Amino acid sequence: MSHRRLEFASAHPTEFVDITERVRDEIRGCGLRNGRVYLQSLHTTVGIAVNENEPLLLRDFEGLLERLAPAGAGYEHDDFARRFDIPLDEPVNGHAHCRQLLLSAFATLMVEDGELVLGRWQSVFAVELDGPRERHLAMQVEGEFAASHVPAIPESLVELELARQLMVDPEPVAAPMRRLVEAGGKRLRPKLVQLTAGVGPRSEPLRAAELAAAVELLHNATLIHDDYVDESTHRRGRPTVAAAEGPERAIAVGDYYFAKATRLIAEMGHPGVTSAVAEALEAVCASQIDDVALRGAYPGDRESYMRVVRGKTASLFAAACASGAMLSEAPPEVVRALRRFGELLGTAFQMADDLVDFSPSSGKPVGLDIRQRVLSLPLIYAAEDRVVGPEVRALLAGSLGDAQVGRVAELVTSSDALPRVRAEARELVDEAVGELEAVDLDGLRPTLVGLARSAVDRIS
Amino acid sequence: MSAAVQVIDGELDRLEGLWSDGLSDSYRVYLESVGGFEPDVQPRLALAAALIEVGVRLQGLGGGAAAPTTLLMGDLCLARGSRLLADHAPLAVQVAFARAIEVVAAAAAAHQPAPATRQLLQQSLGAAN
Repeated sequence: MSHRRLEFASAHPTEFVDITERVRDEIRGCGLRNGRVYLQSLHTTVGIAVNENEPLLLRDFEGLLERLAPAGAGYEHDDFARRFDIPLDEPVNGHAHCRQLLLSAFATLMVEDGELVLGRWQSVFAVELDGPRERHLAMQVEGEFAASHVPAIPESLVELELARQLMVDPEPVAAPMRRLVEAGGKRLRPKLVQLTAGVGPRSEPLRAAELAAAVELLHNATLIHDDYVDESTHRRGRPTVAAAEGPERAIAVGDYYFAKATRLIAEMGHPGVTSAVAEALEAVCASQIDDVALRGAYPGDRESYMRVVRGKTASLFAAACASGAMLSEAPPEVVRALRRFGELLGTAFQMADDLVDFSPSSGKPVGLDIRQRVLSLPLIYAAEDRVVGPEVRALLAGSLGDAQVGRVAELVTSSDALPRVRAEARELVDEAVGELEAVDLDGLRPTLVGLARSAVDRIS
Repeated sequence: MSAAVQVIDGELDRLEGLWSDGLSDSYRVYLESVGGFEPDVQPRLALAAALIEVGVRLQGLGGGAAAPTTLLMGDLCLARGSRLLADHAPLAVQVAFARAIEVVAAAAAAHQPAPATRQLLQQSLGAAN
């Protein structure tokens, strides 16, 4: 038995969200060969249905639900004067609850030979009845699993290697970096290195962990300088090195680990790996210059955004994937496919990261990117929007205090910018996953697919 | 146009302004330290060393912190220099250069005087011998 949560964000009050591919990915990710998938809605206004994904038919369903349980038809549930303990944000949604009663909150799906058993026209839907909202479905899978479906990722090896490297460094540089490393982070780049380092014939977990740790140090070195440039006061919930110890120390610490990481990688003695990472680092630095330059024309346009993101974020993702594969002596076509996978995933990841700035449940203050005039695709789309665009542009042209930042965030949220960026990020992940289809990854594909989906769905 | 000039032209994207602002002088100095390498590699290694020297200077490492945009130029100098080394220098030279930057950065972080950058980098170019 394995369990997990499927998260999604609806965009409309009533919406049939097709989750078939998500469920398929989960099945591949957990290696279920034969068995069952249990889905359960964790909300009283979200149902589950299996039916045909044909747009007009979905409108028919919506019409049917509206006829059977019309909105605003005088539901007692909506009579707040007669209810107790009502939350401040209680919605008027008696119709949505009644509609859910007409659907099911559960589904059991069969899996045979690793594939979801569905008829030609069947799709699995999560049915939003009171959106738009962020939603969760519980999922359990049971049955026969592939013997070694998930390569073991010894993540602790990376943590040990990071600790080992920081232990031997002079304290004035090691202490700030240790604080940053210990504060967490998603460790996506080292995970990609470790995973892809298992794909070729020379799979050596210790060497992979050394490379993964060096890539993480390099990434953190760039963050330390970025934080000074962006005047950020906090990262991962702690004061930035520049804020805590001054810009001089931040520059020195960034330079030290930039040099140390490149040395550690060079000392591994694989010229292809050294070049791949060096090339990515150059792209990161060049794009950071472009990023700052673009702030003069804030929020910029999509083309400029994509150019910066490819260099600033995607290049190191691509290098992480390619260098891991090269280290394991994977064939060139596999290295190419993984490099492209990493590039697309990195771009999608950055788009998803942009969405975090507008998510009150992210744990970060809403609007921080706006305040710091950080390049953001939702903001670009909102600024181009016919309805909210003029006000967004006018606000961004002036000084940005709390009220202005709050208003911009409201305008972005009220436009279709967020669902548009979310959809674009998912399309990129689909494209990234597609890159893996033509090459033999020795069972790694489901894990990479799961990692890619979760990296983008973390805020949706 | 000589091969060396072509190499330099191709590697100065976004950094063109630095050439007349000290980068060319540094390059010429390092060119005298790369005679032991293959002819086609010499300009690349001299340029790598010059970029790293100028990058460290731009960043204000060991002195007052550079303004953010200047820091980013310095970062790009260091990154491009490292990429040139990764693509063209023997492993021992790559390692020696990285160690040189580590020494300068660690000293700056500890508010201690560091050895002269140029001297360290010239020694690094000799690491292959």
